[in-house]
Amino acid sequence: MIGLEDFMHRLPNDVGGQPSPEFARVEHELAPWERRCHALADVLDYHKLISTEEKRRGVEGLGAEVIGRLSYYERWAAAFAVLLFQKGVLTPTGLAEKMKEVEARLAAGT
Amino acid sequence: MHDHDHDHKEIGAAAPGYFDILQASLEEMLIERKILQPGEIERQLDVLASRTPALGAKVVARAWTDPAFRVRLLVDGRRACEELGVTFYDDTGLIVLENTPTVHNLVVCTLCSCYPRPLLGLPPEWYKLKPYRARAVIEPRALLAEFGTIIPDDVEIRVADSTSALRFLVLPLRPEGTDDYTQEQLADLVTRDAMIGVVTVNANERSAAK
Repeated sequence: MIGLEDFMHRLPNDVGGQPSPEFARVEHELAPWERRCHALADVLDYHKLISTEEKRRGVEGLGAEVIGRLSYYERWAAAFAVLLFQKGVLTPTGLAEKMKEVEARLAAGT
Repeated sequence: MHDHDHDHKEIGAAAPGYFDILQASLEEMLIERKILQPGEIERQLDVLASRTPALGAKVVARAWTDPAFRVRLLVDGRRACEELGVTFYDDTGLIVLENTPTVHNLVVCTLCSCYPRPLLGLPPEWYKLKPYRARAVIEPRALLAEFGTIIPDDVEIRVADSTSALRFLVLPLRPEGTDDYTQEQLADLVTRDAMIGVVTVNANERSAAK
């Protein structure tokens, strides 16, 4: 049971020393979109648009529940979207429209 | 129910879906807004593909055979690596931590997954998951035992917690019986996991590109 104090004392990423599930020596081959997401993170950092630390805080800002449900690169992609909205680079409506367009294109196989 | 099992979905989903679409959309919109150049993501993918633990192993083998280089590496990790032609594509510093008969070093990133990527490539999945991050700082000896690494009680374990600006690489102990090895033969013994500090280097096994 997690008490309220724990939420006050630690943000979700701050897991050092916390009780944890059992350790397993897991390896994972990245999916193509995950590799691209990693490359995007590097490029955004080069352009001084989103630094590594900003990205980490962006993930933190998704909140414990979302962090718990998304995979590693899913969190990154979600954090990029939110950070780009905050910076005024993209708008939620613009992204939603683009996603519809991309989805339709993928469905059409072009 | 608030059970907070944060790790049940930490491993990336394989099926194409929402996040494939989101990723593609972010890329396209950033290119349309002229924030990214077309081809930039692809160029970075090539950079990422060029980074494997073989680079770190080359640095370690050089440090084992060249005492002056070893000193330069311990003083300024990044500059010494650059001397060997390993460029740092990100804006990070590097501290190399030398194992000795009395000190064993272990690297973690408790907050996320910072890692010496220019030298080792992308981190293994277990490095990014909660159990390793949570336990490395509080019970490193027990955690190392799960890798089959038994550190004697009279050897101190030092745990280095990485940040976005500062990364760590372990310089493992050179195994005995390797006096006549060439630098290349030595590099073949050095594994990714040894440079994270979760295993030691063994003269009887080759690294199999890990």
